Amino acid sequence: MDDLESELRVPGELGENESSDDESINRKRIKKPNLPLAPPIFKEKPCETGFHKTTRNCLQHIREALLHHRWQKAAEYMSSYSQTLEDTTANMPQLYAEIIWRIGTEILHHHPDSKLEDYNSFYERVKHSGVKHYLKVCLEHSFHLLVNGQFEDAKRQLSIAESWRYGKQSADQSQRIKLIQAYSGFLDYIIWCEKKATVSSTDEYDAGVNQEMHSYFRQSSVNLKEIMKLPGVWDPFVLSYIDMLEFYNDHEGAVKVLNDYAYDNNLPPNPNAHVYLYRYMKKHDHPSKKLLKVLKILHTLVPSLELMLEYCSLLLQSDKEGDLQKALGVVLDLLDYASWRSNLDVWNHLMTIIKRLRLRKQWLKLVEEEMANRKDWWLAMHFTTFQARRDLAVNRELLEVKRFVVGAFCPRYASMYCGVGKETRKGVTSEAQKTKRSKKAEKDKESKTAKKAQKRTRKAKSRLTLRKLLERRRAHRQEQKCFKDA
Amino acid sequence: MDEEQTGGYSEICGQCGEVDWGVSDEGRFYCRSCHNVIERTKEVVDTNTFMIGTSRVSSISKGTKRKKLEQGREWMVCEGFQFILKHQAEALLAMGVCPQFKDDVLCQFWRMYLQKSRQAYTKNPVHDGKFRLRSQGSGESESAPELSVMSDSMMSASETDGDGDWASGGGSVSGHTSDGVSSVCSGSVDAVSYLTPRQRRSQGLMSMPKTLALCHLALLWAREAITLADLLRFVNEGHIPYVNAYEGFPEEMRLYGRDSLIFRVESIPSYSHLHKEAQTLAVFLELPLFPPITLDCLLHPTLLTVRYLTEANLPDELHDWVCRIMEKAGMESSVTFEPMRSRSPLPHYDVQAAALIIIAMKLLFKLDDHTEWDLSNDASDKNKENPDGNSFNLRRWYRTMQTALTTAARRQQDNIARKHWKAQKPLYTSKKDKLVVLKRRRIAEQLQLSFQKLSGSPVAPPSSPPSSFCFCWGEEGEGVRDGPSMHHHTLDSSVRLRGASLQPSNPEYWHPALRACKPRFCKSHYAEVEVTLPRMYVWLLGLFSFLLGVKPGCVYEEVLKVERRFLRSSKSQPRARATPRKTQPKKQPKRKQTRKTCSR
Repeated sequence: MDDLESELRVPGELGENESSDDESINRKRIKKPNLPLAPPIFKEKPCETGFHKTTRNCLQHIREALLHHRWQKAAEYMSSYSQTLEDTTANMPQLYAEIIWRIGTEILHHHPDSKLEDYNSFYERVKHSGVKHYLKVCLEHSFHLLVNGQFEDAKRQLSIAESWRYGKQSADQSQRIKLIQAYSGFLDYIIWCEKKATVSSTDEYDAGVNQEMHSYFRQSSVNLKEIMKLPGVWDPFVLSYIDMLEFYNDHEGAVKVLNDYAYDNNLPPNPNAHVYLYRYMKKHDHPSKKLLKVLKILHTLVPSLELMLEYCSLLLQSDKEGDLQKALGVVLDLLDYASWRSNLDVWNHLMTIIKRLRLRKQWLKLVEEEMANRKDWWLAMHFTTFQARRDLAVNRELLEVKRFVVGAFCPRYASMYCGVGKETRKGVTSEAQKTKRSKKAEKDKESKTAKKAQKRTRKAKSRLTLRKLLERRRAHRQEQKCFKDA
Repeated sequence: MDEEQTGGYSEICGQCGEVDWGVSDEGRFYCRSCHNVIERTKEVVDTNTFMIGTSRVSSISKGTKRKKLEQGREWMVCEGFQFILKHQAEALLAMGVCPQFKDDVLCQFWRMYLQKSRQAYTKNPVHDGKFRLRSQGSGESESAPELSVMSDSMMSASETDGDGDWASGGGSVSGHTSDGVSSVCSGSVDAVSYLTPRQRRSQGLMSMPKTLALCHLALLWAREAITLADLLRFVNEGHIPYVNAYEGFPEEMRLYGRDSLIFRVESIPSYSHLHKEAQTLAVFLELPLFPPITLDCLLHPTLLTVRYLTEANLPDELHDWVCRIMEKAGMESSVTFEPMRSRSPLPHYDVQAAALIIIAMKLLFKLDDHTEWDLSNDASDKNKENPDGNSFNLRRWYRTMQTALTTAARRQQDNIARKHWKAQKPLYTSKKDKLVVLKRRRIAEQLQLSFQKLSGSPVAPPSSPPSSFCFCWGEEGEGVRDGPSMHHHTLDSSVRLRGASLQPSNPEYWHPALRACKPRFCKSHYAEVEVTLPRMYVWLLGLFSFLLGVKPGCVYEEVLKVERRFLRSSKSQPRARATPRKTQPKKQPKRKQTRKTCSR
């Protein structure tokens, strides 16, 4: 802030009593506004050769064409930019090769006339323009073929890359080679899938095809197993491996792989790993105790996950004493996220939990435990008049459910939420009113007290919580007192 | 190695685009990068590369034979420059320069140069010591007669054939010094001596910019209508060979190694650099007084200003004013060049003409960001009153010019961005680099082709035939791209009759302070004064600097120079002063650069 102010100040406005040091500092600041500008990319160098000027200008034109999506134009300039590769004074020839590679693929992706042959020939050229990018370009090439459904070609590209050697193998290079192997395993899996589809469509047992499938499976599993040992997120590889294991009925193996993937400490924490494990277990009817264990971990990792609803219903199904409280916690956690805030299912879950909890003696204490952290803002967040209006517009049932909940938790607060409900309810058909009335009848004393509270607070139509309002008033009064005393 | 086995087979692999052939045990060719086996066996190659003999015997002897052929004959660097000069001269002749230019002027200059730099026609050749040193292994006896042979042949060439048989000039240099020494680092014999620090410092040796400087001097001598700015523009547009000029060398002159440092061109020299180069070269050659530039020569300011007036779409009537200024500045006499007199520098004919026009514009329109617009309003009023009259409206001219200038500048930018610099036959500095360089060349070429296919248009910008003019003015119709012509407009709104003679209706003239400058230490002051100058004036400087391809500062300095002469003479001659008037001097004492206003 300070800087900005001093920058905006005109030198004439400076106070005369300010010391000369200050002035000089200020002047400096005015001269050089410290704005976060990106360094100029296409700056002219002091003694630039004509060739460099051409390439610099050309790159600038390409950039402009790309930003304006004029792919035709960009391709035109690109064809003359390729002479940078021949720069004899370049200190970083690899950089130019990379620029050509990146921009070239971008143009090819968007150009209306680009064909697969263009891609193929382009990638082949780029691969040979620099040693450093060989593996990366190979990988990208095979991705492109993969996306276009040319699995065999993609596989061939990867096998070429696998057999490529240049100089000493750097750490970077060996990592990339592993990735390439993993993808070749993945491609094996895809080919395996194709074979499987043909087998299932013909409905005939063909030993030859089966044999072939099995060999693909073996090749693929070797590569996939290898990559899973390394730390990283390998979701597509794990899924494909599990799919194959499942096909060959190796359930234990599959569970082991998934367990390793989920619980290995070397791997980065990956919620998907737990999700896959849960889904697999659920599919194969594992006992709910195990499922709950997985979901519990998942809950700590991602409390907003969709699976948490399933977790909640599982908890509700179980007979254990503490599970109801856990379910409450899970639901409340879910409601903390904006995406779930007006979800009927979640609120329904909350309603059933409250209904069940009420049967117990010390239920309020349990609720208070869960609500300890949310005390100040929870009600204010979910039960504003604005929220009520929106809920009504979106889903009337939701409004009812929420009214029940707020009635249960804090009858005093219900007034504000319900008041709006009432106001808007005027336009509602009589039929709906009837149902509401019947529901109202169901409500106990607390809702009645809530109505009284509503009358009292109707005057204060702010969105402040009641408590805050009171506190403020109190503070105001005290201030006034102090003034009077003085 | 395999290279010998494959016999230099250098087709591109159809599979991967590499050229890395190996021969398998069965004698079949395969690509070592993608293992693609092709339909070619070892025996076939031998017959292909060497048309004589299909037997295996010939393939055994091919090793040394091939090497000889690859080496080509021996040649001197100055021979290379001779070829380049020859091509440049031929290009100039094709443009319509008088036929004597090549043989009688440029050729003579070149001979003088060779003599002055002691490369030929001398008893004491510059490379003598060098040769002895380098050919120690092969013996001294060989080098001495060879040199004399060379100089003799050059002598005889200059004596006998007046028509200048250029190509044969170097042809008689014998090709029988030992291979070993010269083939190490360069194709030419004496490239190394060109690159020693001492030789570089002496500046006597030829370089690529110097070929252009020599051409410029020769053109001046022949009084041809091609100015330095024109020459540079033709070079830029590729009408005169300069970039990759070595491609025109005959087959047996091989360039590699150190030669590439001498002949490779990666930029076109600037106007001022070339001007300086030409001046030093003229002094180096000790050229006598140049033929005077008279009124029948297009380089004379009178004619040159007509050309630039046409180019800038200014009315022809302005030329009278330009001539009056020229007369007063006394510039009709001193337009020739005498290199040996230190006080006569090589004139910038083209920039001078532009400066004259700018001064005329200032005289008539003042160009102080106010007066010219007022005059334009007057002119438009006059045109409204009288629909047939066409008085020159500066505002209209500015608008037309500005659009044309913007388009032209954009076109120029585009041409710069697309200019192709690299040769078909790339140069490599060492044998080691050869494969890399060739490979890069191939890949760049293929990439270029593939993108060309994608964009569906040729890479090189469409080249137009050489022309003296950048712009093309005229009435709406075919071939007019820049706007309506204003050449026939009259200046009646900005000129009025006073007494017997016409005077500009604008009574004032301003100029930046004519302060004394130390020519040695002072560089251009344009950068510091640019902000204090009127915008219209700056724009005009920018226009002419674009037309001539020089920096605006250069035009500014030239305007100052001409102004100095013009004002000095108008003060000393009382008759030059027309109605003396008191003017309101717009002096701003706080400004560093006072702008003086003179009354005339």
